[in-house]
Amino acid sequence: MTRAVAIAHAAAVSAFGVGATGLGHALAEGAVLRGIPPEAPLANSRARKMMSRAAYLAARCLGDLVRELGWADGREQIGYFLGVGASGGSLDELMALLDESLVDGAFSLERFGTRGLAACNPLLAFQLMNNFTLCHGAILEGLGGPNSAVFSRGAGTVAALAEAVHAVRSGDCERAIAGGADAPTHPATIAELAREGLVARGLVAADAAALLALVPCPLPDHAATLVEGCAIASGRARSVIEAVDEAVDRTGIDRLAQVEVVVIAPWGPPASDALRSWVAARFPAATVVSTAALGESLAASAALAVIAGMDLIADPERSGHGGPRRALVLTLGVDGDPGAVVLSRGAA
Amino acid sequence: MLRRSVFVRGVGAYTPLGATWPETVAQLAAGATAIRPITRFDATGFPCTVAAAIDAPFPDEDRRLPYTRIAAREAWETARIRVDPARLGVFLGAESGRCQWATALGLAGAGRGPSGTFDHERFGREAPQFARRIDASVISPAAVATALAIEYGARGPVETVSLACASGSAAIVEAARAIRLGECDVALCGGVGADADPLMLAGFGLLGILSPRGVSCPFDAHRDGFIIGEGAAMLVLSAERGDASVELAGIGRSLDAHHLTAPEPDGDGAARAMIAALRDAGQPEIGYVQAHGTSTPLNDRIEVAAIKRALGAAVDRAHVSSSKGALGHWVAGAGALGALYAWEAVHAGLVLPTAGLTNPDPACDVPHVIGRAIAKEVDAALANAFAFGGANSCLVLRRAG
Repeated sequence: MTRAVAIAHAAAVSAFGVGATGLGHALAEGAVLRGIPPEAPLANSRARKMMSRAAYLAARCLGDLVRELGWADGREQIGYFLGVGASGGSLDELMALLDESLVDGAFSLERFGTRGLAACNPLLAFQLMNNFTLCHGAILEGLGGPNSAVFSRGAGTVAALAEAVHAVRSGDCERAIAGGADAPTHPATIAELAREGLVARGLVAADAAALLALVPCPLPDHAATLVEGCAIASGRARSVIEAVDEAVDRTGIDRLAQVEVVVIAPWGPPASDALRSWVAARFPAATVVSTAALGESLAASAALAVIAGMDLIADPERSGHGGPRRALVLTLGVDGDPGAVVLSRGAA
Repeated sequence: MLRRSVFVRGVGAYTPLGATWPETVAQLAAGATAIRPITRFDATGFPCTVAAAIDAPFPDEDRRLPYTRIAAREAWETARIRVDPARLGVFLGAESGRCQWATALGLAGAGRGPSGTFDHERFGREAPQFARRIDASVISPAAVATALAIEYGARGPVETVSLACASGSAAIVEAARAIRLGECDVALCGGVGADADPLMLAGFGLLGILSPRGVSCPFDAHRDGFIIGEGAAMLVLSAERGDASVELAGIGRSLDAHHLTAPEPDGDGAARAMIAALRDAGQPEIGYVQAHGTSTPLNDRIEVAAIKRALGAAVDRAHVSSSKGALGHWVAGAGALGALYAWEAVHAGLVLPTAGLTNPDPACDVPHVIGRAIAKEVDAALANAFAFGGANSCLVLRRAG
């Protein structure tokens, strides 16, 4: 069984604020962004204590998405595929643990075992494990279908989206949620990004989560936003141009000439320049919109870019009757691996 | 369009019982266990002082890469396969690696403010000198898959699945999916665990899920928790059969959506993943189940109930065992190790035992494999992997027809 797959709805928490509608147009028009909103309480406030920041963002976004969709029934069959970053626990917790582990100012493993552990919140482990970015939300919302947590510095989120699309297309599940969540402003991640030289080269970290709800598309549907293809490619030992060519080729879409909008999600200025060069060479007439104004959200960036692309083609009132119907989304994360997603409005 | 088949062309493992899978199998078949007192660091005062650790002298910084390299090399060499680099993918189950303790401690201390709580401004000033000592390309979850991709020249999809105890199995699922869809023709896949270290011993200890007695005995009436183990298990999957005797025929996944550590009381999530994998494989007669079998009181009982629900009356004709009695819990590598147990049963007709199991819990009444391996012709085997947080991943391997 293969079916067309449509994006039924999207949700996001990002520098654009809470919500997904209008994200693409705001980026295209250079609108002033609202900034990342303060944390709002979850329905289950106890759960927040066990969550990393990324897990919180994902859970909040997921709650918004299923509520806005009215997906109250059959949640045990809904698939959930997420690009996740390295989860960061509370450094206050870690420091309490370390403080109790010092003997004459030096760390003692024996003291760590005997007293350090007792000083630490036993729930710390739930903040540290990468998969809990996915699992906290799934537990809160009761999602029980096929799933995966793909570690992502960009391309992994496109891989997660590709899996979700396949799960719906093949009939593994009737509904799936896919996207990414990350909190790169965590001190440990910032330190790592700085060490890699990425901050000095223009990377501005920004926490975010972005999710897409995928469903089979009843044909024909002239308003639906379809995910026509998505793929990743290796960026190792070759130019960005070659790597992006391969990612786009792997989407399997043979009507790319009709691409009118290209949304790029580059991790910083060098990647932005590379992607813009690619677009100029391959689609000189296409409008280019960048997610750069949102900052770099690592595992969430690719999903934000897809939402922007969806927004730019799925709003006939703003884009006009003859507005763009097909968008190409290109991502180039800090791992150097490109991802490509082809979106279109309307299924004939 | 017909779905492409996925064949297991090669396997490899690096474990505390052997530097290759055949070496390990020989030990496992005889009922050996790798669980011993921890010697890599002073575990005095920790909730558990034993592990199934690898004692070979690798640098202490991050052992995931050397373990995986060795296992991958064995799998690749046994596969004897040639592939266009653009058609080769790498899929690995892995969690984060470790930097040196001194560096981690310095980094944490860099943010210590006057009141003892974390001070971001101070961290910004002090952290870089410590951060420079951390090779993020080594400790990132993705580091191992990236290193393998470079080593084997793979230019197909490269993915790292971080799904805790289901990571290795889910990575194999991803690899099979990619081959079925034609995204690649050959996949190097599996999982690695290298968690016999203070941080994970502390983390799992805080959760109260390690065996206070220091014994791993899945399904035993006296089981009281798991033991951390480490190693790597890798497979080479291919769309072409070649001389493969085993096919990866079914994959299934689910989420419990129930609790952060405890499985659903009725095992519904686990059963749904098993049933999905069995359906995907066309409902073959299962002769062997490699259980997740962690040796924790709740999980083993619920898993057995779920196995019975998934297999029905056919469970009486299957044998069930768990790798964790002999090799401990590899966490991100556990599901891949389970796949190798299942492969061994189908390929060689050798069903490996559950080490440590002497007195089966009546609540876990399935046909166990106790003491030593048994010889049995197995047409199809099921391998389970269930993670903290409720992610379940199951594989069905069967004789290639």
